[in-house]
Order: sequence, then C-alpha cells, then structure tokens
Amino acid sequence: MLVVGPRRAWIFSGVEVRYVSESLREVTTILHYFDPNLFCAELESRTKDDVLRELTDRLVQGAGVKDPDLLYDMLKRRESLGSTGIGKGVAIPHGRSLAVNELRVLFARSSAGVEFESMDKKPVHLFFLIVAPPQDKRNEYLPLLGRIAELVKEKKVRDKLQACETFEDLADLLEGKFGAVE
Amino acid sequence: MQSNSALSVRLMNLFRLQDLDILIREASDPELKSSEEKMGFAHPHLDKLQAARERLLETIDKRDLRLYQKIAKRLTHAIVPVEDRTCLGCYIGLPTSAVSLTTDPDQLLTCENCGRILYWLE
Repeated sequence: MLVVGPRRAWIFSGVEVRYVSESLREVTTILHYFDPNLFCAELESRTKDDVLRELTDRLVQGAGVKDPDLLYDMLKRRESLGSTGIGKGVAIPHGRSLAVNELRVLFARSSAGVEFESMDKKPVHLFFLIVAPPQDKRNEYLPLLGRIAELVKEKKVRDKLQACETFEDLADLLEGKFGAVE
Repeated sequence: MQSNSALSVRLMNLFRLQDLDILIREASDPELKSSEEKMGFAHPHLDKLQAARERLLETIDKRDLRLYQKIAKRLTHAIVPVEDRTCLGCYIGLPTSAVSLTTDPDQLLTCENCGRILYWLE
C-alpha cells in the first residue's frame, strides 16, 4: 500500500511516507514534499513583509514549527540579500533555519498579487516557501529548490497553479506533471 | 524548541547567528551561488548580511559568542538539535544527566563528544 503513490499513502495512512526506503526514494515525486496543511488558496497579506510573516505563521500552524520569529528573521535576511521574487509572478522564499527539523514546503496564492521587489517588478501571485534545517541529511533542499524553480518557468504550469483552489488541485497538477516521469 | 518551550533570548540570538552564518556562507560559496543564480536568484547585497551580522554580534553574550566561535572554527554547524537523546552533529547518545539539564532555559548544553551546542526539538 505504501508504494502506490504519495497521495494515496497520505490518504491511507494519514502520514507522509517519503523515504521509507531507498527504493521508495527513487520514485519520489515532487508532490512528496507538499503537505495539505501547508496549502493556502488565498493570502490575506498585501505587502512583502506581511506576506513573509503570514507564510511563517502558516508554516508554524501547519507544521508545528516552534519558533516563528527565528524563521521570520531568517527569511527577512534572505530577502535583504536579494529578492526571492524570480519574476513572472512567482516568489520562492527559502533558506535554512534551526526553527525547523525537516524540510518544509508551503504553497500559497495571492489573486491580487503582492509587490515583492521581483526582478521583473511585477506583482507576485504564486509563493513557494521552502525551509530546511541546517543539516540536510538527505541533500533534498537545493535539488527541490531547483525543481520548483524549473517547474514554474512554464507558463502553462503557472496558469494551472493560479487556478489551484484546493490541495487536491495542486496534487493533481504535480502528479500529472511529474508522476509519470519519476 | 527546548523541552520547557521557553527559549532564552541568549539562546535565540545564537540561533539567529547560526542561521545568518549559513546564509552568508552559502551566498559566498561560488558553487552554491552559481547554482542559485541559474535558478533565477540573485545575491547582490551580501554586504547587508555582513552588516546585520555585526549588529547581531553586539547583542550576544560574550561568553556564548566565544563558545560559538570556538566550535564554528572547527565544525560546520556549532549548534545542532537533539533527537531521541542523540546529538545530530556526531550521532552519539547523550547521558541521562545531560537530558535532565534541559529544564533550565539558560543552560547552554554542549555535546560531551563533539562539543557542539545542543538544543531540543519537540
């Protein structure tokens, strides 16, 4: 039952079962990194700082992260290095922090769009928050960051992401995009 | 994160320092920098992180800072979590006596084996 697929595993066992074994790892799809509790169909915030705070708070609520301030400070400092708004309406705030004990990914949308100091100066509608602990034992963080950055380059994918109203919509999209490939 | 869920300001500032040091290290690493740039991320303001680090250092207890710097000189991460009574820096089990010390939020506990500063994940 476990190796049927990530979504089914969630439904049947109620827990994320990624990396139960090395053989399962080989068939891991990008969906394994997403969590129904870390999906936000519509952000309330309208400014960059508020979005970072809201994303942090949602991660804390959805994933049991203990210290929002530590996480928020890290994200703010990462933004001061250079905006994680990569253009075309997408931002991927990311970094490593002692505030988390495992890799966490949160997806959020903003239909109104948020000024995020993006490279193309356009408002951001799609957010992927990716946070990893300092010790990335499985070396997942950077490859995942790269996969998501690659994923959102396609306009078709961005359009579909913007249409995702529920986590199931997101899961269907990610499974359709990557399931057969990996 | 500590077992009593009351992190002291002292410890929090050390955590902030390590998070910031990781950011600076990764932004300064040519390979990682190039990798992120290919993904579409730019790092034009490393100087801002350096300035933030200078400001943060002023808020950290001098003894704690010396301890952190001493460990950071020889190990990539000076602060590591404890999971199942095991230091996740060196993967050596901690004695029961060490675990009992975590009730003191101001106690900076170090691993007897590797010397890293430890903190507890709930």
